[in-house]
Amino acid sequence: MTQRKEIVMLEVTTDWYLTLAAMLFSIGFLGMMIRKNALIMFMCIELMLNAVNLTFISASKHFGQIDGQVFVFFVLVVAAAEVVVGLAIIVSIFRKQSSASVDVLNVSRG
Amino acid sequence: MCHEVKLEFIFLLPIFLPLLTSIFLFLNKKLFNELVTNFFTLNGSLLSFAIASYSFIALALNKFKAVNIELFQWISNPDISIGFTLDGLSGIMLVLVTGLSFVIQLFSTSYMEKDDNHSNYFVYFNFFVFSMLLLVMSSNFLVMFFGWELVGLSSYLLISFWSKKTEAAKAGNKAFVINRVGDFGFLIGLMIILDTFNTFDFYEILHNSTGVNENTITAISLFLLLGAFGKSAQFPLFSWLPDAMEGPTPASALIHAATMVTAGVFMLVRISPLLQHSKLASLLIIVFGLITALLAAFSAINQYDIKKVLAYSTISQLGFMFIAIGAGAYVAAIFHLVTHAFFKALLFLGAGAVIHSMHHEQDIRKMGGLRKKMPVTAAMMGIGTLAISGIPPLAGFWSKDEILASVFANGGIYYIFWALTLGAAFLTAFYMGRHWLLIFEKDNGFDHSDVSEAPKAMTRPLLLLGMFSVFIGFINTPFFHGLEKVLHVTLENVEVTHLPEGITLVVLAVLSIGAGFTGLIIAFLLFGIELHKRIDLQKFKLEYPINLIKDLSLNVLYLNKFGNLFFVSGMKNLSRKVAVVVDGMLIDGSVNFVSTAFNKTSKITSTTQTGMVRNYVVYFGLFLLLLITLFLATPMVPR
Amino acid sequence: MVEALLFFAPASLIIIGALIVIFARNPVHNAMGLVMTLVSLAIIYITLNATFVAMVQMLVYAGAVMTLFLFVIMMIGVDKKEQSTDSIKGQTFLVSGVFLILISLLAYVAISSDFKWDLWFPPVEYDTEGTPQLIAGVLFTEWIFPFEIISILLIVATAAAIALAYDTKKRNSNA
Repeated sequence: MTQRKEIVMLEVTTDWYLTLAAMLFSIGFLGMMIRKNALIMFMCIELMLNAVNLTFISASKHFGQIDGQVFVFFVLVVAAAEVVVGLAIIVSIFRKQSSASVDVLNVSRG
Repeated sequence: MCHEVKLEFIFLLPIFLPLLTSIFLFLNKKLFNELVTNFFTLNGSLLSFAIASYSFIALALNKFKAVNIELFQWISNPDISIGFTLDGLSGIMLVLVTGLSFVIQLFSTSYMEKDDNHSNYFVYFNFFVFSMLLLVMSSNFLVMFFGWELVGLSSYLLISFWSKKTEAAKAGNKAFVINRVGDFGFLIGLMIILDTFNTFDFYEILHNSTGVNENTITAISLFLLLGAFGKSAQFPLFSWLPDAMEGPTPASALIHAATMVTAGVFMLVRISPLLQHSKLASLLIIVFGLITALLAAFSAINQYDIKKVLAYSTISQLGFMFIAIGAGAYVAAIFHLVTHAFFKALLFLGAGAVIHSMHHEQDIRKMGGLRKKMPVTAAMMGIGTLAISGIPPLAGFWSKDEILASVFANGGIYYIFWALTLGAAFLTAFYMGRHWLLIFEKDNGFDHSDVSEAPKAMTRPLLLLGMFSVFIGFINTPFFHGLEKVLHVTLENVEVTHLPEGITLVVLAVLSIGAGFTGLIIAFLLFGIELHKRIDLQKFKLEYPINLIKDLSLNVLYLNKFGNLFFVSGMKNLSRKVAVVVDGMLIDGSVNFVSTAFNKTSKITSTTQTGMVRNYVVYFGLFLLLLITLFLATPMVPR
Repeated sequence: MVEALLFFAPASLIIIGALIVIFARNPVHNAMGLVMTLVSLAIIYITLNATFVAMVQMLVYAGAVMTLFLFVIMMIGVDKKEQSTDSIKGQTFLVSGVFLILISLLAYVAISSDFKWDLWFPPVEYDTEGTPQLIAGVLFTEWIFPFEIISILLIVATAAAIALAYDTKKRNSNA
């Protein structure tokens, strides 16, 4: 990144935003693999969704079309709905057991 | 003209009449009692014989011109059809088979009396007669092959007739299997014939054989020869015949003396126009015939079973017929076939009468002195013995002498063959003399008070056959070539070996008579007046060699044991090995291996299904990265 | 200069916030980290001329969704201090593997293109404006169908949430 600063001379082009989105996505993904608390995993999902939103917006600016932002709008709505339902599920599951860990949920073990 | 019209279909009747009788008796097995069965079968065979004789006479009046009937054409190219022919050769066989069938059936009605399977016997018997006639009256190889196979089947049915007895069942199996080995050769020969000539018809093949490559003809001859070896019990496919004596004696008389075993000889004479072109085949025939004749004669000199002596004798005499064919004397072969049929059938039926009167005792060491009790049987069997030994003017002399003379006439190495054949003739006289003397003459001190002469239904056929054995030889003497005339049209393209003329012929005749007489005299000395017990043999140190000869003879040079060990046990071991190793371990193993492999693989792969979310996330990530790598790896060109 | 600063400041906040989310021990700290990330993202959206979306993100995401998260944390997650990493067999190994592959991929891409992303299409010269008028113009004409569907989705989600979290025992005992 420091290299870029020197070479490109402070011009912030689209690829910077894409790199940022990629980093955000990877962090979110890693977080999903590492943590075992269900709530934290949900938050990592939110990180990934936001990274995607960022990609869409920067693409919209790059191509000069408004459709990217409309799509972000939709993703936002869906993410909200998903959070609602997901948290309701987590609440109902974890009412039964005291732990909030997902590791005990291995019913589908084959 | 009117003879020809009547001849057209009438000669087919004797072929199919036995088949109808067989089917008829089979369908009514439960209904008929013995008397009714006897009535139908005897009348049927008599009718067949009458029509057969009529056809033969008509043929003779027509100068033995062949009559061919094609019933229907199966395939047109290559030419395969179902047809029958009546010429000199098949005419002789027709009359012989139907005539002997009647006589032997007459004997059987008394021999098989009170047997549980009485009707089955006649069903099989008539079926056999039908098969044999199919074989001899065929006009092409296909029908002959049908007859060939069916004869083997009927033989099996009759050998294992008393199927509850293990030895009988085994003997039937053995006969069929050994026959099959021969049939394998026959089939391959047929394939080569079809490929070379594109037809199965005898007339076509035998009259167009000049342009064919000699190697092909030799190949055909050798394969067909293998078939003949199986059917006519030549070395090395002979061991089924002595075992076949487990069957009823009249069946042995017909099948294993007069008809089925002569099918090989018949077939070779049929293809004689082909055979004469192959020197190798003729040489092999005479060599194997000689080996068989000597081997069987040697084995016969110390056999104890009354029928086994006759079985080995049959093998030996068939060897004589093969020797004749190998020497190019086809007429002599057929002549010997005919005479042998009569006196061998006579001997077998006589043995049957003895067995019957002795209450099924078959060991000749336990007999002796039966001449007084069974005079007619003794006399008739005596005639048979003299006939087979070649004593003039009985039938055997003329035919055997013709064979010896023809062998001699070929010259060169055939002089040695002649000498060996003469030796076989000597042995023949010896063992037959021993056979007759041990049964009828020498009194061993056994109690035979309950033995009496056989019933009339048995003795009358014996008398008939005895009479024929005396007079049948006159159909083809050096003075009257009757059989040659009969076979003249059949063998018109064949180079038949001619008998030597003049003084040579007389000398040869004297020598063969001498061989016969010598054999009988030595037999008389050893078994009649028992000279060897009166002379001190220790002086000559002959005891060990004599015992060795006796032992080897009885055990047929241990050939049977060797064959059993090598082929039967060997095959069983091989089969077991194949079953265990190939089938069990290899095939089952590989199939099981596939299923176990599946099982194991699925167990391993199922460990990935942990049910844990985080693992699944990791997998998701891994494959996503894989996709990305693929995406990066493929070169992309912007639009 | 200003543009770069406008980019880097929110960018670093985003990264820091994301790292806090995945590494913090206290669930409330996680939530705070996420809020920081979301707000900084809104700032970035503004620099990208997507003003309406930035406002909506601030309102919905950082406002409503995070509040919901905090409620649930209060209900279940807050008094448990759990370890951040696990005890699943081989998980660490797999995770580090994935991480390594990811890093190497990124490095490969970066190095092979000389740190210059080769975008296929050049950027447009004019500036788009993320005004509500523009978005509405497209949303209610071209994208009307998906719009209706997500309205239904929202209603369904609400109903589902209530149905899932409904505690009959408590309700009955209360009434």
